[in-house]
Amino acid sequence: MGRFISSRKTKSKIIKTLIYIFLFFISSIVIFPYLWMLLTSFKPIEEFFTYPLKWFTKNWTWIQYAGVFEDPKFVAALRNSLLVSSIVTILSLVLSIPAAYGLTRMRVIGGKSMLIGILSSQFFPPMIFFVPFYIILSKFKLLNTIPGLVFAYLSVTLPICTWMVANTFQNIPRELEEAAQVDGCGYMRTIWEVVLRMSLPGIITAGMFAYVLAWQEYIFALLYTTTSAAQTAPVVLFFYLGQHQIDYGRLMAAAVMLSLPVVVPFVFMQRYFKQGRGEGSVKG
Amino acid sequence: MLKAKLKYFRGYFFALPLLIALTLAILFPAIYNLGIAFYNYNFHSQSWEFIGFKNFAKLLHDPFFWNSFRVTLLWVIGNVSLQLILGLAIALSLNSIIHFRGPFTGILLIPWISSFVVVAILFIWIYHPQLGVLNDILLRFGIIVEPIAWLASPGLAQISLILANTWKFFPLVMITIFAGLQDVSQELVEATQVDGANWFGTFRMVIFPTILPSLSTAVLLSTIWAYNSFTLPMVMTGGGPLRATEIFGLYIYKLAFDAFDFGAAAAASLILFGQIMAIIILYLRVAEKGRK
Repeated sequence: MGRFISSRKTKSKIIKTLIYIFLFFISSIVIFPYLWMLLTSFKPIEEFFTYPLKWFTKNWTWIQYAGVFEDPKFVAALRNSLLVSSIVTILSLVLSIPAAYGLTRMRVIGGKSMLIGILSSQFFPPMIFFVPFYIILSKFKLLNTIPGLVFAYLSVTLPICTWMVANTFQNIPRELEEAAQVDGCGYMRTIWEVVLRMSLPGIITAGMFAYVLAWQEYIFALLYTTTSAAQTAPVVLFFYLGQHQIDYGRLMAAAVMLSLPVVVPFVFMQRYFKQGRGEGSVKG
Repeated sequence: MLKAKLKYFRGYFFALPLLIALTLAILFPAIYNLGIAFYNYNFHSQSWEFIGFKNFAKLLHDPFFWNSFRVTLLWVIGNVSLQLILGLAIALSLNSIIHFRGPFTGILLIPWISSFVVVAILFIWIYHPQLGVLNDILLRFGIIVEPIAWLASPGLAQISLILANTWKFFPLVMITIFAGLQDVSQELVEATQVDGANWFGTFRMVIFPTILPSLSTAVLLSTIWAYNSFTLPMVMTGGGPLRATEIFGLYIYKLAFDAFDFGAAAAASLILFGQIMAIIILYLRVAEKGRK
């Protein structure tokens, strides 16, 4: 009996070790391409084409990044990306916060179904908007403009933003709000002091989500911008690829810069992901 | 009386700006698209002509439509099954460890938040015949003798793209199942173990039934995202070689912006939409049955 237990113990210890090895292996596969991208973006161009590949370099250089910043097209694209993402984030929050408040905390008829309806539009394939957006934008002379892109992006960010803010609002006990009113807080002040302040982390998360979605958006930017007046960074990156002689160094440096602004929000968003965003978004 | 009733609609007053924006940016374009599907657009005279169901009939007679139908089906099945297997295995592993759970989860979520274009560029490069790191590793370990052009032949390109997309999307499946695993009753697990059940027995009797709702949610989400894909094939292969990776998104894109056949593109997007709706309805049916 004693031997049986100890053999079972060693067996479970081996399994535990194997699980750690498995996770370590998968994590390495995931992280490796990013490390590789980062390492390569600091390599001098001659070392790209040596074969077999050199994984590390002795000659660190900023030259690829300098090259990217000397390209006016990419600088303009970065500026456009920043502008579009910021406007989309602000508009998404300004529109979704009052709506989420009205639909979750004011005892409305059909508020819940309305929210589910709003969220379900998130699953519309972007392809059903390809043609109508094109026609609408060209009618209003909004092709190749920042407002045109903002309009298209709102169709992506508004549903998910509203849903996320509504979810955080629902977690605040109603008694708190009532207590504040009993204590003599005015209506707007209650909203401000109790609801908004308590759900600030959730609101920030929703805003960052909108920001990241807009920052990475590629499809609509490809379809509706053809000049550098409104072209965003992902599209310019795509055109780097289409060149006859692909400049891998510049491509990698540009890719690193496209990824960086996502890293910081991610640290904040991770908390939300861990609660299982996919679960919450459909279960309702 | 009226005033008392109005109270229950006051919330909509707050929601009004959002509802207007959603109508303009989503509802109206979607309905507009529905209308366009029944018209023919003449690009030269810039005029529209009502043609009824002719756009749909044209699609059904287009061999490239059926090609992308097949390619999309393969794409969806490949992606969903791979993501499910990988996501489930990793979620179970994460759930059974105590140390380093946070760092592992953080790293494993990175692909999901990465930009599609960056992922596509990384994989173009990983798969590159001469400069690619995949061939480099395989050659170093002697698994292959000659470099392979991963994106150059139809079958290989399909598999390579599915693998890249799985790499991008498995975190969504993983995190959804992981959330479901938190509902598994530890007492029930221990009870079955005392009764002498092995790991598979416990999984079949306790874990699987508990996580079934999140499993089906994960399958639904990854199916929808697979149908809605566009960027990875667009950037990595452009639908080639020989249209082997031309999923619906790319087919619709080419109809609309290469051929400028707006009507047919709208019709094709509705067919895609219909497939997704069918899957959601199927899911709701199954979920309803599970609840009874």
